[in-house]
Amino acid sequence: MTVFLQSLISGILIGGVYALIGIGLTMIFGVMRVINFAHGDIMMVGMYLTYNLFTLCGIDPFASVVICIPVMFLFGGFLQKIFINRVLNALPQNQILLTIGLGLIMSNTIMLIYTSDYKILTTSYSSGSFRIAGISISEPLAISFLITVIITAALYWFLMKTDMGQAIRATAQDREAAQLMGINVKRMSVIAFGLGTALAGTAGALITPTYYIFPQIGSTFTLKAFVITVLGGMGSVIGATLGGVIIGIAESMGAVYISSGWKEVLVYVIFLLVLLFKPSGLMGKSRM
Amino acid sequence: MKKYSVLMLMAFFSAIPSLSPAAAIKIGVINSITGPEAPIGENLTNGTKLAQEDLKKKNINVDLVWEDDTGKPQIAMSAMEKLATRDKVVGVVGPYTSACANAVAKLAEKYKVSLLVPAAAKEEITRQGYKWVYRMNAPADVYASVLIDAALSMGKPKTIAFIYENTDFGTSTTKTAREYVAKKGIKVVADESYSKGSPDYRSTLTKIKARNPDLVFMVSYVADAILLMRQAREIQLQPKAFLGGGAGFTTAEFAREKEISNGVFACTQWTDDVSWPDAKEFARRYKSRFGKEPTYHAACAYASMMVMAETAAKAGGDREKVRIELKKGKWNGIMGEVKFADYDGFTNQNRHQMLVEQIQNGKYETVFPLIFATKKHLYPFPKWQ
Repeated sequence: MTVFLQSLISGILIGGVYALIGIGLTMIFGVMRVINFAHGDIMMVGMYLTYNLFTLCGIDPFASVVICIPVMFLFGGFLQKIFINRVLNALPQNQILLTIGLGLIMSNTIMLIYTSDYKILTTSYSSGSFRIAGISISEPLAISFLITVIITAALYWFLMKTDMGQAIRATAQDREAAQLMGINVKRMSVIAFGLGTALAGTAGALITPTYYIFPQIGSTFTLKAFVITVLGGMGSVIGATLGGVIIGIAESMGAVYISSGWKEVLVYVIFLLVLLFKPSGLMGKSRM
Repeated sequence: MKKYSVLMLMAFFSAIPSLSPAAAIKIGVINSITGPEAPIGENLTNGTKLAQEDLKKKNINVDLVWEDDTGKPQIAMSAMEKLATRDKVVGVVGPYTSACANAVAKLAEKYKVSLLVPAAAKEEITRQGYKWVYRMNAPADVYASVLIDAALSMGKPKTIAFIYENTDFGTSTTKTAREYVAKKGIKVVADESYSKGSPDYRSTLTKIKARNPDLVFMVSYVADAILLMRQAREIQLQPKAFLGGGAGFTTAEFAREKEISNGVFACTQWTDDVSWPDAKEFARRYKSRFGKEPTYHAACAYASMMVMAETAAKAGGDREKVRIELKKGKWNGIMGEVKFADYDGFTNQNRHQMLVEQIQNGKYETVFPLIFATKKHLYPFPKWQ
């Protein structure tokens, strides 16, 4: 029983970070219909930003989220304005090539600067944990989960309650109609891409205290983000949250009850089953 | 008088060119220079560079052709094809990882070029009866046996748990470990492979904790070693000893994480305080040149390059002769005695004595076998704080 609860909690905690990655990707897709293959690499940039803030300025990885969000937002806005905007009406394969290319440029630039050495952050709480009823909970994971919940809630409030959030949702639902209603869709695109980038960067910042970083780390997370968003339904924020947690739990349970080497198989079996019975993903079509 | 000395000088200088050897010997190097394996690959690169300097001192002029395999077997294979057919090298040293070395071994046999593998552990590499494939380091079976022998000499462990990366290196090391503990009467209570790069090993470790093993045997590359030990501490996995099968557990980065690495045993091909000839001198030079502690990979690469270049120089660049000379030769250097022998199904395998080291206060200390020990071992594993 302890083993079961332990793996369930580990799964939920890690799933929170996965959800954050997925939400970023799903927002970008929802508003622009562009599949961002540079998502994992953007997350990697966030990781290196956090790493530098910690080693050079001594800012705690969790506190650095406050810096990470605006910096990554501007970075995302810049990417959208200079690159993505030009291919919005192009063929999908051209959009994919562009984002893959951007990802390659990011990972190789980082490799030139920092070499491909693994970097690992050591904070006072890196291997700390506390126990509730015999189950040990990782301190850094618990904190990052808490931050994830706050950010997701804030994002949800922003999308549902504010004018700008509603404008973003309108753009996601029907770009032309939104434009006819006087919404500046170009601006909404920049904001959506900035938000998506900021979320990916934040996920990177949150995972650095418990993980290690290297320039090629992005591809693992791009794939994961992709599975999460498709599982949850492309364009759905709630779907991505759900998808992230499901993937987290599946990995954790798979490692315990099947084998760590087979946990990915379990993840993809679930993924395929969902697609088989609900091809549009758990939360249906773009509903933001 | 003055005229005479000028003449002498002229005679002296004109004599110099005749001293230098005729043509440079072309030797290929395949290594992981970029990619995920690059942090360890760098040690091999540095070791090879020191060998190149020493060869120059010995008046052996080598022309090294560097190839980067980025840690991928298919790229290593095309590198080998290029070296064998286009660059026409007399011998190749490398590649680093087991997967790459195993793939390249087949090609060495096909193109009839001597391949000297410096640090890959997978047993099969020298177990397929290949004539052209040599290996400097001890293969995976020794990794496991030397660690378990050390554990048995320190206490009476009855159960063991395995956790290893599902790569060539991880699975082959664990396979031989399983066979070896069966012989010694130790029971396997958990057997977990994982795919690297996963951020969460807690659930796997929890499962192992529930079985309460005396020994935990781990095989991982660089960063996963730190991650595994961190999460082991988190969930308070408390065996009598943690045994690390080389690679990630023998890096300076790992030792620096004192909180989690203190007391962990690791097996290694080489340490910088071992009494083999010039080992200490090599460590000193390496540190002053590259500003880092040398790992066993560096020593393996250095010794391999020395052996290959000296043999190639002696054979005068003839591939067939290089192969025969490697088989016949005997060397003594920073890796101890080197001789390529056939035994227990292995061919052209150097019977290298492995060492066991333990991290004490953030430093690696050799603790086993006792003739090489520099410090007393710490057993059982101290309680987590």
